[in-house]
Amino acid sequence: MTRQAGARVLVLRCPDLLAEDAARAFEPVVAVVEEFCPHVEVLRPGVCAIPARGPARYFGGEVELASRLAAAVSLGGFGGQVGIADGLFAAGLAARTGPAGLVVPPGKTPEFLAGFPVGVLGIPELTALLPRLGIETLGQLAELPPADAVSRFGPSGELAVRLARGLDPRPLIPRPPPADLSAAMEFDPPAGQSEPVIFAAKALADQMHDRLAAGGYGCVRVRVEVHYSGGAQVSRLWRHDGLLSALAVAERVRWQLDGRPGGQAATGDDAEVGGVTLLRLIPDQLVRATGRQLALWGDAVVTDRVARAAIRVQAMLGHDRVTRPVLAGGRRPAEQVLFVPFGDSEVPQRPADRPWPGQIPAPAPAVVYPVPRSASVTDSVGEVVSVGGRAGLSAAPALLAVEGGPACPVTAWAGPWPVTQRWWDPPRSCRQARFQLRTDDGRAWLAVLQEGHWVIEASYD
Amino acid sequence: MRHRDDVLAGEGMLPVLPALRELLPGGGLSRGSVVTSGGFGLLSLVLVAGAVADGAWCAVVGVPAVGMRAAVEAGVDPDRVVLIADPGPRWPQVVASLLDGFDIVLLCPPDQPSAQLRRKLEAAARRYDSVLVIAGDWPGAQSRLLVAHAEWAGIGVGYGRLRARLAQVVATGRGAGERPRAAWLWLPGADGAVTAAAAAASGSLVTGGRAAATDAPDLARLASSG
Repeated sequence: MTRQAGARVLVLRCPDLLAEDAARAFEPVVAVVEEFCPHVEVLRPGVCAIPARGPARYFGGEVELASRLAAAVSLGGFGGQVGIADGLFAAGLAARTGPAGLVVPPGKTPEFLAGFPVGVLGIPELTALLPRLGIETLGQLAELPPADAVSRFGPSGELAVRLARGLDPRPLIPRPPPADLSAAMEFDPPAGQSEPVIFAAKALADQMHDRLAAGGYGCVRVRVEVHYSGGAQVSRLWRHDGLLSALAVAERVRWQLDGRPGGQAATGDDAEVGGVTLLRLIPDQLVRATGRQLALWGDAVVTDRVARAAIRVQAMLGHDRVTRPVLAGGRRPAEQVLFVPFGDSEVPQRPADRPWPGQIPAPAPAVVYPVPRSASVTDSVGEVVSVGGRAGLSAAPALLAVEGGPACPVTAWAGPWPVTQRWWDPPRSCRQARFQLRTDDGRAWLAVLQEGHWVIEASYD
Repeated sequence: MRHRDDVLAGEGMLPVLPALRELLPGGGLSRGSVVTSGGFGLLSLVLVAGAVADGAWCAVVGVPAVGMRAAVEAGVDPDRVVLIADPGPRWPQVVASLLDGFDIVLLCPPDQPSAQLRRKLEAAARRYDSVLVIAGDWPGAQSRLLVAHAEWAGIGVGYGRLRARLAQVVATGRGAGERPRAAWLWLPGADGAVTAAAAAASGSLVTGGRAAATDAPDLARLASSG
């Protein structure tokens, strides 16, 4: 086992792109990083790493490299934090330190790490135990003799001590350009029927899987590109996760051909679209093949029949238009549900099981408008109802008109309930007064007054 | 884990919430049938809630404004729901594909379908043993449910809040011999759950403060008129 300090590593972290579904948005950022150094390892969506030594020599120093990379990434519209340190673990922490990241000088990594709590190790069985033994920081952990750590904590203890000392457990695994792993076939003359294309797709998928396996990679998704002789090109991403067989990939190609622009499958005599001239399979988001079998679906077991129907509709409409609801926290009804594309996984940033003071209690409205509808709430003399600085009401609401429709008499109302959201963040903060209104047609509404404008956020049927 | 086939296998019937049982012939959603619920609202979600809670899969098509939280309070398991907010111009194909796979498709048709198209989708529901729940109008439906009267309780003039809604749901079936059935429901009740209102209407639900005092007589009148 090597005892040397880890090699110099640069980690780029884009805080806006850390969500699972941001992987696609992260690709252009990775392309920017690849211009600095072709050996990029994507650690997870929003975080990637490159070896720092070569590029730093080229650009005249690590600090210079970090600032140039951050500038290049910000040109793409994303904020990036750049950290450089000995080894991947320390570089990842350095990237999270300060708004722009941190360059830890060579040899200073153990000092840099010493102040961090052991929780940053991300080894759950140890991070609960170590503080109870009086080891609260990485500095204290680094002082433990490795042999004692192994005998007391097992292999994860050894790993923890190595990390705490700035010794990296593994080298970077750069990803090769995906183009090298793709598989393509041209059709001359253009294939008018789907069948030969699907047949070829199975062989291409086998080729692609072989190339991935030879490099020890898996891919999260596979991009299927179909070119038509009419000039159209249809490209779709399909969830792969290393779980699809060649036949399953071919089936997705069939779905994609079925959902092609302008018509039904397997006719091909459509003059505008024409036959298929090229089929290409490109592995997307390479990861190290760890043999992990991901559950496609959280807890609920999705039956094949359901998944097939949903994926088929995704082929017709697009990946993002078939979604699953995930409950999230929030005060506004529209915030309380996220719509995650079928096949993607997402943990809500705002968990639903926390208290959200100011949330309207149950029962929840059955109709929640994705975009609030404009409305007008007037009092008995026709003046718009307003709310004063101390939540005082100008007059009782008497009439409600939604989106310029006919005014309905208000038979009962409750409110105002003031909500001040994110007062700590001026650009995103907002002050609202919320009301429940009951109208004489038997319906009830969740109305919001913000900056003098009334909107309807939801309807209770 | 339940699978498609063991949801009341053999009976050809998907369960509904107990409060809705007497409204539907056979006490459930019969596989291969079409049921309407009037325009999209809580009743549409409540119709599918019993089956989804029992392990059935539901696709909701053409309802961008679906209130998932209300659905969950009514008993819908969000892990078994897939949403297609905008099915686009080829929505009949989308619905037909979904019927092959999902136990229930809750559809708010983006435009008025022709009789031929309706027959096609009815045939797809029969072939795949699924249930098509329509939020809207569908002339060939086996059962039609409608909220005939509804009154929100718990809210006053400047006080209280919406706590529960007492609603009369009327169901009509196809064919002249079928007599309309009606039931009073808490749609929804105080915690979002849907229950039969007969027992609750006496006023145990709306408790505390002025809201109860003002609204209880109102509700009693509503209940007695049904």
